[in-house]
Amino acid sequence: MRVLLYTGKGGVGKTTLALATALGAARHGHRVCVLSTDPAHSLADALGRPVGPHPRAITKDVYAREIHAQVELDGAWRSIQAWLRELLREEADALVAEELLAFPGIEELVSLRAVREVEETGDFDVCVVDCAPTGSTMRMLRFPDALRIFMEHFFEFERKGARLLRPFLRSFEAGRLLPREEFFDAFERLYQEIDEVRQILLDGERTSARLVVNPTRVIVDETRRSFAYLSLHGIATDAVLVNRVLPDSVGQGYFSRWLEIEREELEAIDRSFPVPIRRVSLRSAEVIGTTALEALAVDLFGDEDPAARFAKGRPIRIRRGGGRTRMEIDLPGITKEEIEVLARGPDLHLRVRDGRRSISLPESLIGRPIEGVRFREPILEILFGDD
Amino acid sequence: MRLLLYTGKGGVGKTTTAAATAALAAERGLRTLVVSADSAHSLGDVFGRSLGPERRRLAQGLDALEIDARQVIESQWGRVRDYLVDLLRYQGIDEVVADELALLPGADELATLVCVEQWAERGEHDLIIVDCAPTGSTLRLVTLPEMAHGGLQWLLRLQRAAAHVIEPLARGLVSTPLPSAEVFAEADRLFYDTLDRLRRRLLSPETSVRIVVTPESMVIDEARRALTDLCLFQLASDAVIMNRMLPEEALREPFFRDRGRLQAEAWQEIESIFAPLARLRAPLQADEVRGIPALVRHGMDLFGDRDPALHLGEAPRLRFERDALGSRIRLPLPEIDAASLEVTRVEDELMIGVGGRRRKIALPVAFARLEIDHVRYRGGQLVVSFVGGGGGAAASIESVA
Repeated sequence: MRVLLYTGKGGVGKTTLALATALGAARHGHRVCVLSTDPAHSLADALGRPVGPHPRAITKDVYAREIHAQVELDGAWRSIQAWLRELLREEADALVAEELLAFPGIEELVSLRAVREVEETGDFDVCVVDCAPTGSTMRMLRFPDALRIFMEHFFEFERKGARLLRPFLRSFEAGRLLPREEFFDAFERLYQEIDEVRQILLDGERTSARLVVNPTRVIVDETRRSFAYLSLHGIATDAVLVNRVLPDSVGQGYFSRWLEIEREELEAIDRSFPVPIRRVSLRSAEVIGTTALEALAVDLFGDEDPAARFAKGRPIRIRRGGGRTRMEIDLPGITKEEIEVLARGPDLHLRVRDGRRSISLPESLIGRPIEGVRFREPILEILFGDD
Repeated sequence: MRLLLYTGKGGVGKTTTAAATAALAAERGLRTLVVSADSAHSLGDVFGRSLGPERRRLAQGLDALEIDARQVIESQWGRVRDYLVDLLRYQGIDEVVADELALLPGADELATLVCVEQWAERGEHDLIIVDCAPTGSTLRLVTLPEMAHGGLQWLLRLQRAAAHVIEPLARGLVSTPLPSAEVFAEADRLFYDTLDRLRRRLLSPETSVRIVVTPESMVIDEARRALTDLCLFQLASDAVIMNRMLPEEALREPFFRDRGRLQAEAWQEIESIFAPLARLRAPLQADEVRGIPALVRHGMDLFGDRDPALHLGEAPRLRFERDALGSRIRLPLPEIDAASLEVTRVEDELMIGVGGRRRKIALPVAFARLEIDHVRYRGGQLVVSFVGGGGGAAASIESVA
């Protein structure tokens, strides 16, 4: 199954283009599911009809679904909720447990599970994810990494601790404060599910990100950094989609200055991203409903299959040659001063502006000293020496 | 001190509108601070100046800053954070990673509120304007103090209880660092003192939310839902601002003819949905609005002779009523699907759910011994009627068209 992540700054038209892509892909014979992970859902607004937390048929081959954290949690975390409820029985009630679990951060997590659910049904060839604006999306992508670290270092320890303490505490009132085995099992299942999603997202053949922009300076600047963050997290962007380009016909009148500004930005977009760029012009009316969205897809992709992989490059590459090994990462829109690299044990810690990631090094590179770090815009090169 | 929160869907021009309001207010003599709370900051861009977490004076009476969540959290709850980092490091997690994990979800929103509260308490400004992150995050921002109060204080109490009992036993068995009294003191300060003050600030009559929209139905649909959520959490909105209205001259372009008709319809919709809030509009300018003079001009187009800091309109608020016919609560909730409503009594609180969002409203003492009789949703108002004495806690909802 192909997974297409649509992200970009707020208001650029992510939802509209995600739906157009889904409808366009269906015309190429795919069965498509569109997921919205933005808590401020707008699939329904763009389709002009309701969409809910359960998959709903939009056309014969396209389904849409909004992820509502509350609904997902009710189903997914039953045993964890049950534990919390029991724990809080005397002082609180089910509502408190629910509130605890609806705390921010959870939304990102349940969104990731949904991608896996779509794959599991086996009913779809393509899953288009209409993501929240860039910031939240980055948090969503970082989540599996954070969880992996938590599980590897912390979780087993806690579980053992609980096992050890339980017999001692049974006689105390505090015995029930320790999570029971079911809790750990539920948590582990959840972790496995999230880890499967991580595998899907990191596989460039299956998953591609698409960045939606408008030709204005602030948006282009931010989108360059988003591209860099996606690279950093190992997610391949295969196209940049420029939405709402002013048509030339508005030429000389009130919009002449705006056209001038746009031309500069369109050039900057072409220069900035090492992937194909697709443009689509502003429409004379708002694009709402399947017919208008299908027409938009044709303008955007022509005869091409919108679910195709438009660029084959990988965001993080290991290259060997001349007796040396180097790791390369694409980081457009970033300056040298904003990058920090640190190898420690089996992990490589990277800090890029306000984004961070720990990458597990391949076996062959563990323990080898970093000989040099070079930034040849937009590519970061980390050179490894012999051990 | 007046506090204005600017919110709306991404890309509608919140930052420009907030900056224009600030520039105009300062020009008219108000000591004004404009704060960017969107972690993808663009306030500096609009002023054409570089901004950071330190206050920067941009003109007479006009200050601006961009919040750095990490820095605020560090300065406020350094000990709690250090403890978490310690705990994680102890488990063999690298410091860099521990640092990351300890930055709890919701931190951005919390940092924003704390920063605003600090500036409000300094009393150096007559007006503080917050340029919020897009709608989703703004709702998280306004609901955070309440959510944290309702949920996290239990967690804290729990951990403390656990630490009390387990500590003596655990020292020998498990050598996990346990939180010190200082950590608890700091956490207490967060939960009982700071969050309370933040909540009071948000609910103060001096605070208003302004919703920015553009003449597009997708944007207006989202604004409408935002207004419902704001009502549910009793945040007072005072105005809706329609940005990027195409002026006559622009509508002469043949390409934009349809847009002219559509924007007239959009304005009609705004008039009918959002009254009695003030409805303001600003034109799409012929060039980018950048720098203070352009912002002041844009502010003039928006407010004319009106004072930009005024209470521009009044959204109806939650009311408790008691008379010969009984006791009831009225809550304005515009444009919701009655089928998605849930109303439950939980001890001395009323839980109201709309769609996926829930909030609890503390009942006044006079209502404490009463039970829900029936619930009605009519004309954009939720009315919960009470009767005296025992009985069930949940009630069916009657929807009246």
